[in-house]
Amino acid sequence: MPFLPVAGFQGSDLPEALGWKTVHDPYGGDEVYAVPRLQPDWAVIHVPEADAEGNARIYGTPFWDRLMTRGARRVIVTAESIVTREHLAAQPELTAIPELFVAAVVHAPGGAWPGSCFPLYEVDYAAAEAYATMPLDADALTRHLAETAARDRGEAARMESGV
Amino acid sequence: MGDRPAWQPVDLIVIAMARLLRDGELVFHGVNSILPMVAVALARRHHAPRLRAINIAGGLNPVPRYLPRSTTDAELTYGSPAVLSNEEIYDLCMRGGLDTVFLGAAQVDEAGRTNVSRIGPADRPKVKLPGGGGAAAMMPTAGRVIVSRAEHSRRSFVERLDVVTGAGNVDRVVTSRCVFRRVDGRLQVESVHPTSSPEEVVEQTGFVLDQREPWPQTEPPTEAELEALAAVDPERVRDLERR
Repeated sequence: MPFLPVAGFQGSDLPEALGWKTVHDPYGGDEVYAVPRLQPDWAVIHVPEADAEGNARIYGTPFWDRLMTRGARRVIVTAESIVTREHLAAQPELTAIPELFVAAVVHAPGGAWPGSCFPLYEVDYAAAEAYATMPLDADALTRHLAETAARDRGEAARMESGV
Repeated sequence: MGDRPAWQPVDLIVIAMARLLRDGELVFHGVNSILPMVAVALARRHHAPRLRAINIAGGLNPVPRYLPRSTTDAELTYGSPAVLSNEEIYDLCMRGGLDTVFLGAAQVDEAGRTNVSRIGPADRPKVKLPGGGGAAAMMPTAGRVIVSRAEHSRRSFVERLDVVTGAGNVDRVVTSRCVFRRVDGRLQVESVHPTSSPEEVVEQTGFVLDQREPWPQTEPPTEAELEALAAVDPERVRDLERR
């Protein structure tokens, strides 16, 4: 589909700013905005569980994650744990992203940090605040990246030791 | 100790919002909506036990164990019998299924239209705001919209919006100084909080207000309202709202 008709947006400056056009309801209703297709090249979606083929579960709220995996040309799934196909097949209706859409799977424990990954961890508000308020210079960015990398190595070591 | 007031200004904002909610209706709030989240919990406990509530975390009539700092937190699905995805919530609103929607605003004009897109000119914005898909889609399609804006100053209540993000079925605007009601397409002061004054409301509002009739005072919080508020928000998450 090149566009999708939607309700709402009357009186807003956004449709004109975004170059949206309207279409007539062919069944005699009101004129509605036709939202143009959004097709990103990639969607990167972090999930609690995926198998090696890319079938993935999202616990809690999917927000826009399912929609993004259908809209993007290709999808990278990053996962807290790589689970077996049997684990997913036991309740296939819980698979939010089927392998069909997935180009690559990355094992990335802690990958949503400083955001949250339900139900495993919550937002790290202190880290998010530090990121949002850090000085906008190269030194601060280098330090931030080093700290993040050290944190990721810690996650990897923790996993390998099986704790 | 001693002179500590029985309630804070933010308490009355939340209570004024909760009073607008009717038992049995379906209400929705989105991201960055601490005051609406507390108002919904308060209304359900105080006067609207059958209020039906949906939030952007997807929860339906949730029973959160605590009120989170972010209104996208999965805690707002705790105890919920179903989780709605965001596209389902938008679809529901667009087909007329949401009775009341809470929205925020950086700027509000006299028609009750809101700006949550940008401050300053398009080519050189002073502030780029998070954006307003919710406002633009939901304001014309929700049954009614309650806008909350804690900071009530000429910076936020303006004659001319920098961007019209959302326009539509705004019914009330609740601020730190007053409650506005939209009548014949124009915001009119419905009541002035006891923490403010009519002079202050006029002084801090950037558009002209109809003053032909004197404005009543907002009913101060009742003891029952304050008790219910303390019960639903004992940690005072509501204090996180920026003013």
